[in-house]
Amino acid sequence: MKKLIALLLACVMLLSLTACGGTGTAGGNDGDKDSKTEITLWTYPVGKFGDEATVKGFIEAFNAKYPDITVTVQYLDYTNGDSQVTAAIEGKKTPDIILEGPERLVSNWGAKGLMVDLADLWDDEALADISKTSEAVVAACKGADGKYYEYPFCMTTHTMAINYEVFEKAGALKYINEDRTWTVENFEKALKAVKDSGLVQVPAVVYCGGQGGDQGTRALAMNLYSAQFTNAEHNKWTMNSAEGIKGLQKLVDLKNAGLIDFDPAAVASDELQLFANGTIAMSFCWNAANQSSYASSVTFTPYPVAFPSEDGTPELCGGIWGFGIFDNGDDAKIEAAKKFIEFICDDAEQGPKSVVATGFFPVRSSYGNPYAGTADEERMAVFASFQQWLGDYYNVTLGWAEQRTAWWGMLQQINDGKDVTEAVNDYVDTCNKATEAASK
Amino acid sequence: MDMKKVHKRSKALVIRETVVSYIFLAPALFFFLGFVIVPMGMCLVTSFFNYTMTDFTFIGFDNYIRMFQDEVFLKALVNTFIIVGVSVPAVVIFSLWVGASIYKMKAFTRSFYRCIFYLPVVTGTVAVTVVWKWMFNKYTGLFNHVLLGAGIIDERINWLGDERFALACIILILFTTSIGQPIVLYIAALGNVDTSLLEAAEVDGATKLQTFWRITWPSIMPTTLYVLVITMINSFQCYALIQLLTSGGPNNATQTIMYYIYYQAFRLYDYGYGNAMGIFLAIIIAILSAIQFKVTNSGKVD
Repeated sequence: MKKLIALLLACVMLLSLTACGGTGTAGGNDGDKDSKTEITLWTYPVGKFGDEATVKGFIEAFNAKYPDITVTVQYLDYTNGDSQVTAAIEGKKTPDIILEGPERLVSNWGAKGLMVDLADLWDDEALADISKTSEAVVAACKGADGKYYEYPFCMTTHTMAINYEVFEKAGALKYINEDRTWTVENFEKALKAVKDSGLVQVPAVVYCGGQGGDQGTRALAMNLYSAQFTNAEHNKWTMNSAEGIKGLQKLVDLKNAGLIDFDPAAVASDELQLFANGTIAMSFCWNAANQSSYASSVTFTPYPVAFPSEDGTPELCGGIWGFGIFDNGDDAKIEAAKKFIEFICDDAEQGPKSVVATGFFPVRSSYGNPYAGTADEERMAVFASFQQWLGDYYNVTLGWAEQRTAWWGMLQQINDGKDVTEAVNDYVDTCNKATEAASK
Repeated sequence: MDMKKVHKRSKALVIRETVVSYIFLAPALFFFLGFVIVPMGMCLVTSFFNYTMTDFTFIGFDNYIRMFQDEVFLKALVNTFIIVGVSVPAVVIFSLWVGASIYKMKAFTRSFYRCIFYLPVVTGTVAVTVVWKWMFNKYTGLFNHVLLGAGIIDERINWLGDERFALACIILILFTTSIGQPIVLYIAALGNVDTSLLEAAEVDGATKLQTFWRITWPSIMPTTLYVLVITMINSFQCYALIQLLTSGGPNNATQTIMYYIYYQAFRLYDYGYGNAMGIFLAIIIAILSAIQFKVTNSGKVD
């Protein structure tokens, strides 16, 4: 009897194993499934697109118009998101839609042939409307093969910010122009004034611990003497130009003078925390979304400014966000995904709402100012004024992932005393090799 | 004739019991094969390929050759050996010392200490790491605050951002998160040492050191072997701390093989190269585990 029970138990266990090998159709209403298309959306935390309640509201609005499409969402973060996507690609379990920027959608997954061409979304009307805002946005969403791998809906310029009250007390506000630009000379004078005031431990920190936010340190180094990160074709790295080396050498000189600090243990979020708690007087990693999210947690006025440049005309790094579709070989899902993207980005009512949820600006000129008449109007007007200095979107250069790591490494090396020219040449060499390898 | 019948019946019984045993084993075996053995085999095979998102070309031993020409890998290898070389003996000695100090205490006190030392193990790695990161912070961290206040240092130290200190900080955190289980095991093992042998040794005039070395140490050898192997494997596979604290920096000062495997496979999508490093690491761990088994006499007590 015992043996029989044991045998039965074992059989039950074995049978339970077969459930593991199911095709995923169990548990659903098959009749309902026939008429519904299920698509998955993965979002990086672009403003409130990382907030479940907001995204759920958008999906409900979408379902009111398209009740036959079900959207399931997974929320990614910037620390582990790339690993999750990589694992999904290898496991052939990629989502249908993904929300991020051209450096991932176009120059990474698009270049590897994993994404669907979105040319039909880029019709003449959309192309004209977005081009009117910026040709750079259109170019950034297009791969080297001429296919569109991203359909964008929002953009911003990354800036830096100062602690207004500290600068005021230190008498350093006079070094910033009315249009929020400043020269390298005045930047240095402001650093000295803030340092001498003793109001903060150190005026600023060049964070170089990796894990994102690198656009801030890149913008700082390239703006000082108007260097360019890549050539116009985005296939060669050029920070080893005289201007690039001079800019990085300037940062080392400022560090040696005790006016700024390099911190290889800090990532962008650490620097923002130091800025928010008043340990340092400026942040190199600022934008409209940060201004909004830190508003309630700081006891001072974060005052956005452009990166300093010798000629007084900054060239700011931009951020462009939109949707891409992974090619999972299911035409019905691809069509459903396109409908979803069109609704979120182009629907007359939903489109501006989607942009406002990100805290950034619309890529469509026809949307005008979606913040007009809202409590955010004044804050967003400040950031809108930076759009005029939007620089080249070189993030689409192939080999981007290697470049980022090499950039942090290079900053760590010059902090350690390595010759700047030698370090930058090594960095450019690494980047060019990575770009060349990715181009094959 | 009867004997033959009995033999036949017992053989049938054995077969039936064996079948039942294997059926019971099947689920575990299924998962073990599917999630351990098969991936290991795939890892071995793909390590001989230039395996990226867009390419899958056989390249023989090129990944292995490239490994030993890769300065970052060699640096990671050295760092990993330093971590293992320092943390394994430190964990064993400290755990044994704490275990020996605690196991004779009253049940309540013993449990209290066990809880204290086991806390970092049950607390999530991320939470523990965030606290350590705050304590090591150059500007707002506890260590600099205390050391500056006590006049021990003149200027703030960037603990995790300075090549001279970063790896030591990682080893320290790894140490605190590794000692919990060995301490609990040693307390149990020391409590199980045959007291009659210890009393006999005492009666025979053996010193405390002699008693420990001749009786206690051999008795807890199986536990020591387990602690050695587990701590060594954990130290070789040090990844989460690096990912959360330093990303291998500054200047690869905290780069470990496990983190470099992750970086190559998940950041650069160079799966073949990452797998080659994984195979190399597995071989090293297997060899060192075998040596430990041999040196500690397979954990047997004479």
